[in-house]
Order: sequence, then structure tokens, then C-alpha cells
Amino acid sequence: MLDELFNKIVDMEEEESINMAKAYLENGGDPQKLLEVCRNAMGVIGDKFEKGEYFLSELILGGEIFGGIMKFTLPLIKGDTKKLGKIVLGTVKDDIHNIGKDIFKAFVEAAGFEVVDIGVDTPAEKFVEAAKAHNPDIIGMSCLITAGLSPMKKTVEALKAAGITDAKIIIGGGRVDEEVKQFAGADAWADDAAKGVRLCKQLMGVEG
Amino acid sequence: MAKSPKELAEERLARFEAAANLEEPDRVPLWGVSGDIIPAYSGITQYEFNYDYEKAIKAIEKFIKDFPFDFSMAGLAGLEGRIFSIAFSEFPDLSVSLGMITGPMHDILQDKYYRYPGREIEENASPQFIGGTFMEADEYDKLIEDPIGFISDTILKRVCRNLATPRQSMAAMVRLGIEIKKGGDFVAEVGRISAQLGFPAIALGWGYAPLDIIGDFLRGIETVVLDLRRYPEKVKKATEALVEPVINYALTSKMIGAKYAFFPLHLNEYLSPKLYNEFYWPYLKKVILRLLDEGIKSFIFFEGQHEAHLQTILELPRGWGIAYFEKTDIIKAKKLLQGHTCVMGGLPMGLVTGGTPAEIQEYIKKLLDEVKPGGGFILAPGVSTAPAGTPLENISAIIEAVEKYG
Repeated sequence: MLDELFNKIVDMEEEESINMAKAYLENGGDPQKLLEVCRNAMGVIGDKFEKGEYFLSELILGGEIFGGIMKFTLPLIKGDTKKLGKIVLGTVKDDIHNIGKDIFKAFVEAAGFEVVDIGVDTPAEKFVEAAKAHNPDIIGMSCLITAGLSPMKKTVEALKAAGITDAKIIIGGGRVDEEVKQFAGADAWADDAAKGVRLCKQLMGVEG
Repeated sequence: MAKSPKELAEERLARFEAAANLEEPDRVPLWGVSGDIIPAYSGITQYEFNYDYEKAIKAIEKFIKDFPFDFSMAGLAGLEGRIFSIAFSEFPDLSVSLGMITGPMHDILQDKYYRYPGREIEENASPQFIGGTFMEADEYDKLIEDPIGFISDTILKRVCRNLATPRQSMAAMVRLGIEIKKGGDFVAEVGRISAQLGFPAIALGWGYAPLDIIGDFLRGIETVVLDLRRYPEKVKKATEALVEPVINYALTSKMIGAKYAFFPLHLNEYLSPKLYNEFYWPYLKKVILRLLDEGIKSFIFFEGQHEAHLQTILELPRGWGIAYFEKTDIIKAKKLLQGHTCVMGGLPMGLVTGGTPAEIQEYIKKLLDEVKPGGGFILAPGVSTAPAGTPLENISAIIEAVEKYG
């Protein structure tokens, strides 16, 4: 049944996936196993995106299906599941868009990261505060518009000035590229969520 | 002898038209950067730039004088307001004035689509379109039945706090009319100054992809892409229903004597070829072809990555218009569309913001070696909004490189 569910999720069968996951749990299925299957399916959706077989609409729907199943699965999982790492994530100052951040968040959580979402239009100081409070492995900054490029640089500078040098910094968004990474002084860049997740795994030394 | 402004403007226009007509111009035309850098260059805030027409005009004049690109969007004020144009599409004289919603218009409408500096966001932040979900999934039938009626009578009331009651609406509309006049004067003044400085007046009309109306203004982008799977037939019928209002609106481009209709696409990069070819492209194509029937070339900004859909452009007649690409591989696009479509773009904003003048010159030289032969190419930044902190020497380097290698 779990194999079939895996395929349904990857094939974007929203209703059937959710119904099948519910039925699995109602029949005494193991929520931990269900979570793993869903995570693997999200991984495959990300791979398909990177290969050009899937597009943004599939990433959004994939995130929706995963979120729909998790709503009734996560409360059944006892104790903490082991996390790959912790990410403080926000859209930088002067940019109020959440779309890119949210797509990335769905996939990186599905991949096993814990995400502390600090919102949009986030000043550098708030990134610094969150980094101090949560001691993340990775700090993720998102921006959609070009107005976000300078705030990314300023945020990286503020983090370094505050002595936060252990966490890796990844920047993401449609207008981000290698030049912007160098300009901002970040450790990695991604212009799509799937690549972002792969790079976060690499930054943690996990196979991408 | 230095050329007169009139000669310069004619030369620039001829350059643009040659490229648009798939010919080889005297040199590669250069579409410039604009956006946040313009107020920053004059040391005024985004708030002043968006709300004080006099200061904005001075800032634009200073920028286009010191950075003389062949053309740019420097005089453009406001954010996408197509839904208002559609609502007014039975009144073409008003429809034309509502395609862009400026800061003062946003204040009058008290809408939920936009965030303006000095209002919802900081004085120095860039104005932003945020959209949202203003129509429920079970309302598709209403949209299908009477798109203009549903948008004007139901949606706009939800979107604009000041259109909620008939009395508020009356006051808002009168105020909007007064503001439109001021905005019109601003555009005319920018046009006058541009002409004095040797820039051509290229009257740009408008169009839109029917599905983008639903994504941008009614359901929200994240929601409409789910609707395509959840209620495919409804979305298709609604898109079909929007074709005629969008075309009627697009045809008002004729009123300003436009030979080009400029519009951005938003959902293109979200969709797989299967979804694109079923829900998006057929209806967009109708708009493009109808404009072409009237002698208007579409000038389309293919936002994001359009590579998966490039082939569909070849379904259009040769010389249909200008394809302006953001992240699509421009060399690949130029090769594929050579002799069929004028291709525009090529300059990544990351390079302009983070590179050095030497890197920019080198990049442009290499790019033009590939894309200049055969003409039909306009060099432009992938997205024309230059951040406030863009190094000025980098902007000058673009102009110098095109003078040298174009």
C-alpha cells in the first residue's frame, strides 16, 4: 500500500494520496513509516523538478499534498524525529514576498530539516537575533525582487559582525545567481527550491 | 557635429524598429535599467518618487540624461492594474488610464493588491504587488457567466476598502478621475523631457494573458496552480470567458496610436508544457493574434524561465512581435527564433549589481558575438529594475560596451 501511496504522491494525485494515507493509518499503519514514504516522494518530486520534468506548479501541489498528509500524521508520531539540521529562514528586508520562501520551506522540511520561519521583510537584526536564539546550522535568505539583493549583503555582514560564523548561509530566489552569491558573501545560492534542498543537504555533509 | 535631439530620437527609433522587424540595425539597440536606482541616484526616497510628481520628473530627467540608454521604462509609474482596466473594458476611454495603479491611486482605492513606500512599507522600500485570494473556488461559475460584472460588482469591492459601499465608491471614483489627470500630466511631461534629450516616444499599448488575470488578481498564483488540478474544467471555461474582455482592453492600445502592446507573463514558468498548452497558451495566442490583426505587435516579457515553452512561439506568424526573456538562455532562444521573432534580454541583473565594469564589458562582448549576427535582437537586462545600490560605473559600462561591440 505504501508503494502505491508513494506513486500517487509523485503523480500528483492529491485526493487519492490523502485518502490512502488516512486509510493506512486507520488500519493501524505506522505513522513513522508513512512520514518516510511521504518524504521520499517529496525528494523524487524535487528530483523531477531539477530534471525539468516537473515545474513550479508541481512543487506547489507536492507541498500541498505533503502538508495535507502531515496534518493528521505528525500528531501521531511520538517523540522527536531525528532532524538533519536546523534552518533559520526569512525573506530579507524590503521584500514582502513569501512564495519562494514557502515553497522551499515545504521541501526542506520534508527532507528532514527543522525550519524556524522568521517571516518576510526581515531586518538584518532579526536574522541576527534568530541566529543567536536558535543556533541554526544554516541561515536561509529569500528574495523575489531585485530590491532584496542589497539587504542580503547587509544581512550577511550583520551576521558576521555579530560573530555568527558557524552557520552556513544560503540565499535563494528567482533573481539570485553566482554573481549575487559573491556580492552578498553567502556560501551557496539556489534559484529554485529543489536545488536549495540539495545544497542544504550538501552543506550538512549529507548526500544530495 | 553633435546630433540634434530630434535626429538622436529618430536614430534610436529606427534602431528599435529595425530589430522589431527582424532586420539588422546600425548597432544593437539597448534597453536600459530603471526602477529603484532612479530615486536613489537623485537622493530622494521611494516615497517621494512615487508620491511627488515634481521630484519624480526631476529624478527621471537626471537619470536618463546621465545614463542615455536607447530606451527604458524610466518614466513608468505604478504597478499592474489590469483588473481595473478589465472592469472598465466597456468604457475604453477610462480603461486605458487604469492599467497601472500609482501610489496616489492606491491611497484612493485603499486596495489590498499593492504595498507602497511610506504607506504599508518603509519610505525607501520599492513598491510591491502582493496580490492575494479574492475569489473563492466555488465562484468560478459566476466569473464564467459574467466576467466583467463579477469583477466590478463583487471582486473590486472585496479588494478595495474604498469601493465597499456605493457612496464610498462614488467618492473614490471622482478622486480617481482627478488623480488620473495628474498622472497623465506627469506622463506628458516625462515625454516632453525625453524628446528634448533625444529619446523617441514609443507608444506602448497593452495586453495580458487571460489566465494571469485569474492568477494575479482573483485567486492568487499559489492557488490558481492548484485549481488547474482540482477544477480544470472551471478554470478553462473562466479563462475562455476572459479572452474577450482582455482583447477589448488590449484593443484600446489603438487609442494611443500604439504599434506595440507591452505586457508581462507571470504563470508561464509555473506550468509544465502540458498545462501551459492546455490552459495558458491557446488563450494568450488569441490575444496576440487579434492585436496583430490590428497591426499591433505584442511585446511580451516572458518572466522567469521560459525554455520549456520556447517552441510554441514558432506557432505565431513571423514578425508577430518582441520576445523579452528574463532567465531563458538567450543564445538558445535567439538561435531558435532567428528570422521569426525579435529577441530581447541577455544581461543578468546579478552581474550588473555584483560584477565589475570590466566583467560586464567582457560579458556583453561575448554575448553580442553570438546574438548580433542577423539582427532582430535588443540587448536588455533580464529584469529592468536595478537595485538602489547598483554601482553607477556598472551602468555606464553597459552603455560603453554596446557602443563598442554593438
